[in-house]
Amino acid sequence: MRDKLIIGRMIPTGSRVHGLDPRAKITAMLLFTAALILSNGWPQLLVLAALSLIVLLATRVPLKTYLRTLRPMRWLILFVFLFQLLAGAGTEAAAGDGFLWTLGPITLSAAGLSAALLAVMRMVLLIVFTAMLTFTTTPSMLSRGIEGLIKPISRRGTGAERFSLMMRLALRFIPALLEEAQTILKAQAARGADYEEMNLKEKARLLMSLLVPVTVGAFRRAEELTTSLEARGYRIGAPRTSYRQLIWRRADTWFTVLFALLPVGALLVRLTV
Amino acid sequence: MNGMSLTDGQHEKGRAAGHERETIIELRNVDYTYQAGSPFAAAALHDVNLKIQRGTLIGIAGGTGCGKSTLLQLLNGLLLPTGGSVRVLDHTLLPGMKKLRLNALRRRVGLSFQFPEQHLFEDTVEKDLMFGPLNFGFTREEARTKAAEALRSMGLGDELLNRHPLSLSGGQMRKVAIATVLAAGPEVLMLDEPTATLDSAARRELIALLARLCREEGRTILMVTHRIEELLEAADEWVVMNEGRIVFQGDADELVDRTNELREWGLAVPEQLRCWEEWTARLPQLAALPLPRTPEAMARVIAEAVRGSAGAPDAVRVSAPESIHRSAPAPGSESPSEAVNEARSGEWEHDLCATN
Repeated sequence: MRDKLIIGRMIPTGSRVHGLDPRAKITAMLLFTAALILSNGWPQLLVLAALSLIVLLATRVPLKTYLRTLRPMRWLILFVFLFQLLAGAGTEAAAGDGFLWTLGPITLSAAGLSAALLAVMRMVLLIVFTAMLTFTTTPSMLSRGIEGLIKPISRRGTGAERFSLMMRLALRFIPALLEEAQTILKAQAARGADYEEMNLKEKARLLMSLLVPVTVGAFRRAEELTTSLEARGYRIGAPRTSYRQLIWRRADTWFTVLFALLPVGALLVRLTV
Repeated sequence: MNGMSLTDGQHEKGRAAGHERETIIELRNVDYTYQAGSPFAAAALHDVNLKIQRGTLIGIAGGTGCGKSTLLQLLNGLLLPTGGSVRVLDHTLLPGMKKLRLNALRRRVGLSFQFPEQHLFEDTVEKDLMFGPLNFGFTREEARTKAAEALRSMGLGDELLNRHPLSLSGGQMRKVAIATVLAAGPEVLMLDEPTATLDSAARRELIALLARLCREEGRTILMVTHRIEELLEAADEWVVMNEGRIVFQGDADELVDRTNELREWGLAVPEQLRCWEEWTARLPQLAALPLPRTPEAMARVIAEAVRGSAGAPDAVRVSAPESIHRSAPAPGSESPSEAVNEARSGEWEHDLCATN
């Protein structure tokens, strides 16, 4: 199960991207997403694709690994593609423009195809870029980065900390729960119910039977975690220092500025063309 | 529990060497890598070669992360090797093979996991106990009978059958977890640190039970532990692992000669071995004897040796009784013969040699 879900785990390669401040990376991520949403033509998207390719190569994580992150999303991507293809075709066909072919109620057009491919491209870029963020940043650094970004915005100091703790715990729990589910699946397999040998109906039944023990396990873990946080004197709002300080370097500024140009550029193209 | 039944090392050795046993588990050049081919690949086993005979009780020891649990999971096909071959009973597991119909193997090779609460997933103890037998093709009635039998064989009463598994105490949960495996009647029983959450009385009780399953019912038992001393008496053979390799396979007598390496392998040297090492250095005549498997037997052998060498060199005469005196918690055991009596009464346990 964990073999397939690889997004969300850091891959240490020691690249420059790994060394960037998490705040810079998160900001870049947000700016990149904004640029993706604002871009509605092929030239803009190709620029974004080229730039993200450069960043991906700079992480020194094999590109094949990035492609693997798309695998769990393949059905959603296909759905988006088909939806855009058919919906886009309808509007364009009404305008009597770029007709390709018609089969009963289904009409395909060049514009529809282009729109569908654009939508897929956007999605792929977004997934891959998110994967880049998690491959190069540990969950704790990620939440520290978010905390650092929210802190100036939130009025009372504890809001950011609360949110960051919540996020950190949530991130911590995802692999823990997967592991727990996997262990139970193994325990079941050891006693003659092997998930991999089952048909779809049996699989569904087995997964349902996981629900209760995994939830119970999650509550047990949560309880232990609260106790251990309290036992070690953790209090929301109490003054805390960090073992590793976040340091904003010049490279972080350049990285952020570069990505800040993207949505601005996309907006300009959109307004002028 | 009943510590004195297996105390005589000699008799045990004789039994082990008595006749050739059938090899039921054989690993050849086995490698295992987790998530092979992905960026998270982590090698867990390297070039492991191992043979295990039917009806033996094997202790598997090693520091954390040495591959003990991975080894167990390879033996019932939960994991397939990424290199080499694993033969268990009449099944051969090879890298990349299609995992089909392994239930025939898993019915015969039971595995009890490290954490009992991850082992129990149904809403009553009875359902959990019946899960295995039902999957292995028994009827509901048969499964119910087997469930009750397995529970009783672990020394638990039928009143637990309708309880929720997670409402049990730690010790009960552990026993139920083992019973769920026993319910299917496996020929090979593998246990991953089964004594970890038990107190010392429950631990001895469990090991006596495992020894009985092995001696009386002829089952093969593989038990992972990081407390060598708890299994020293019962184990026929030891497998020690370090960093994914098998670094030692042999009986306790051979293990005594490797105490220094045990430390390097990340294992605590059992007090009993440390004590024997110390005494064999002082009294050379002890070195020729097999390792007494229990603290009581060891105390008796040492005390007899001390008495035997009463007229011997000064060093021994001075140091021996003093050391016994220092280590014995009971007051008044001034002479070796009194130490023997102490030992016979069985009150000594592991404090026998707590000298350093």
